[in-house]
Amino acid sequence: MDKHIFLVGLNHRTAGVDVREKFALTSVADFEKSLLAACPLREVLALSTCNRVEILVVADAAQCANADIPAAVLRHWAAVCSGPLDVLEAHVYRHEDLEAVTHLFRVAASLDSMVMGEPQILGQLKNSYRKAVETGTARVIVNRLLHKSFSVAKRVRTETAIASSAVSISYAAVELAKKIFGELAGKTAMLVGAGEMAELAATHLLTSGIEKLFICNRTYARAQELAKTMKGEAIFFEDMVERLKDVDIVISSTGSPTAIIRAKDIRDVLKKRRNRAMFFIDIAVPRDIDPDVNALDNVYLYDIDDLKEVVEENMSARQGEAVKASAIVDLEVAAFATWMKSLALQPTITDLLGRADEVAARELAKTLKRLGEVDDATHEALEVLVRSVCHKLLHEPICFLKRRTREEGSAERFIDVTRRIFNLDQDPVNQDAHLDRRIAGDDEASGPDDQCECCRDDADGKD
Amino acid sequence: MALPEILPVLVIGLYFLGTALYVLGSALRNERLKVTALCVAGAGFALHAADLCVQIGQEGFSPSTARFLLSLMGLGILIIFVVFWLWLRLRFLAVVALPLALVFYTASSAAPGIKASLPPMLSGLFFFLHIGTLFCSMALLAMGFGAGLAFLNMEKRIKTKSGLKTFQKDMPSLNTFDRMNHWVIVAGFPLYTLGLASGFVWAWLTARRVFSFDPKEILSLVMLGLFAYLFHQRLAFGWRGRKPAITVIVVFLLMTVSMLGINYLVPTTYHGFKP
Repeated sequence: MDKHIFLVGLNHRTAGVDVREKFALTSVADFEKSLLAACPLREVLALSTCNRVEILVVADAAQCANADIPAAVLRHWAAVCSGPLDVLEAHVYRHEDLEAVTHLFRVAASLDSMVMGEPQILGQLKNSYRKAVETGTARVIVNRLLHKSFSVAKRVRTETAIASSAVSISYAAVELAKKIFGELAGKTAMLVGAGEMAELAATHLLTSGIEKLFICNRTYARAQELAKTMKGEAIFFEDMVERLKDVDIVISSTGSPTAIIRAKDIRDVLKKRRNRAMFFIDIAVPRDIDPDVNALDNVYLYDIDDLKEVVEENMSARQGEAVKASAIVDLEVAAFATWMKSLALQPTITDLLGRADEVAARELAKTLKRLGEVDDATHEALEVLVRSVCHKLLHEPICFLKRRTREEGSAERFIDVTRRIFNLDQDPVNQDAHLDRRIAGDDEASGPDDQCECCRDDADGKD
Repeated sequence: MALPEILPVLVIGLYFLGTALYVLGSALRNERLKVTALCVAGAGFALHAADLCVQIGQEGFSPSTARFLLSLMGLGILIIFVVFWLWLRLRFLAVVALPLALVFYTASSAAPGIKASLPPMLSGLFFFLHIGTLFCSMALLAMGFGAGLAFLNMEKRIKTKSGLKTFQKDMPSLNTFDRMNHWVIVAGFPLYTLGLASGFVWAWLTARRVFSFDPKEILSLVMLGLFAYLFHQRLAFGWRGRKPAITVIVVFLLMTVSMLGINYLVPTTYHGFKP
């Protein structure tokens, strides 16, 4: 491997929210570019969410020998966030090469998340990657690494049950409702009282297809207000029991010190609704619904503790699935390592052909501009002409690289040379390049090497 | 070995394999296993139907043989299962339908020489009215039995908050099982009544007596009473959930006692299968 991957970061386990806030990169513009300018790096990707900040960098092996890359990255990070470096250093974790790859795969697959299996992190990682691509700080390795991490995440999601059960109170309530009623379309719910968690549960029910939502509050104005935002119907608190006959799911979270829904009331309600099933979700503490309600046939009552238990059980089930997921990650890391070692030729060929196509397209556009109006057939013929000239010209070098790849040891050097000859990584040309060329112009192998960054020559020398 | 001889072995093998694979697939939550199981059982079903046709071809239409009747019952259960599968998406009931089809088909193969002591006058119309309706309602009850057991177990787990088992997460909702129970009762009771009534009419036509205190007749009347009570409670009083589920299970168990127990073990009944 002539390149090293480093990952430094902090997450909810290593740093408190104050530290994470301090070193968040969400509001830092062009962090990747500034890091690339400040440190001797080839590629940079930064991920910043409320639970984690991660910086992934790729550097040439030669540069790593001379500098402590992670330390340099941390210095720049602390400087950009105007935070104390010692605090940052105390809270970060550092990973290198395959360890970094493993960590990234685990993050993408949500194995490292606070709520294991939650799907948001993948979207956030995709956004970070898009940003890196747009700013041009993602190249061969970051490209491959990120694409691979997305596919690992997908594999973990489909091959394990890591995300199959609800791990939040409100989702657990919706899941239970589905187990009782089947499809929620056409069902009616009632929200008694207000409260963040109750409103969240009601929102989840609405998105799951509940047909109608009644909102009941001691303060009618508050009920009306909520009804407006949640597109429900406000009802008077006094009418609550009377209206229950049309309601399948009740979510209650009032501040009442005594039970507001009693078993006696529900027995009558059940008669009126001909025993159609009812599901009560009591989020209030102290409880709003008499626990005896659960003893009635076709009535199911879950209070906050019961729901918490469901969530905890699901969490422990996810832990079990995490073992399976880790095995998938390990397999994929091994595959990535193989790619890093042996398939570096492939991206080079892709880049080479990409560059050729780019040149061809540019030259074609110039020629077409000069020619003025041409018919479609001529346009197509010109396009084929420039492309085939480019590709035929590259045919021999590509065959040469492939041949050399088969001979172990020599491939890396030639790939490196090719990348530099065609400047595939679009490195700025060194000021001393022409001088170097004049001095060592006689040697056919070392000539092209010498014209590039001098630090690379050290690595070649060591090989 | 000629095809008709090998058919029963094949059908039993396929049903057994289908049942085992489906149970395994449910336990492991493996969709591919379940689909394979249903394909295997489907092949068994086709051969089962072919076997019945071969029987009719060889022996003529002889509805009084135990072999024919039990085999028909097995086939009926699978047909009713397919109806519920397509209609209410209750594929889960394969867990009940496949083993029952296996039991009935195996019982039919084990009794090739046994004949019910039914006079040969049981013509097409009465066969349809008596056997056809009763078998349909019995197959419905069998499915209701499976749905009832699944309902009771899942309901208990939800009610006592003991958490659902892994395989239960793939199962239909309580409401679906209850709807199934509703249709078993709504369709099963009239069919059962018609089957019983036609039996009494036929008894009167052939033997000039309606009721002969046959154990099977007594049990059938008990079942009819229970069924009627259930029908009434469900439709008029809005019974739902546990109570109708338990009652359907009881009626099905009585039916099994009547069908397999009395027919084989009680020598005095005129419904009995005698060698």
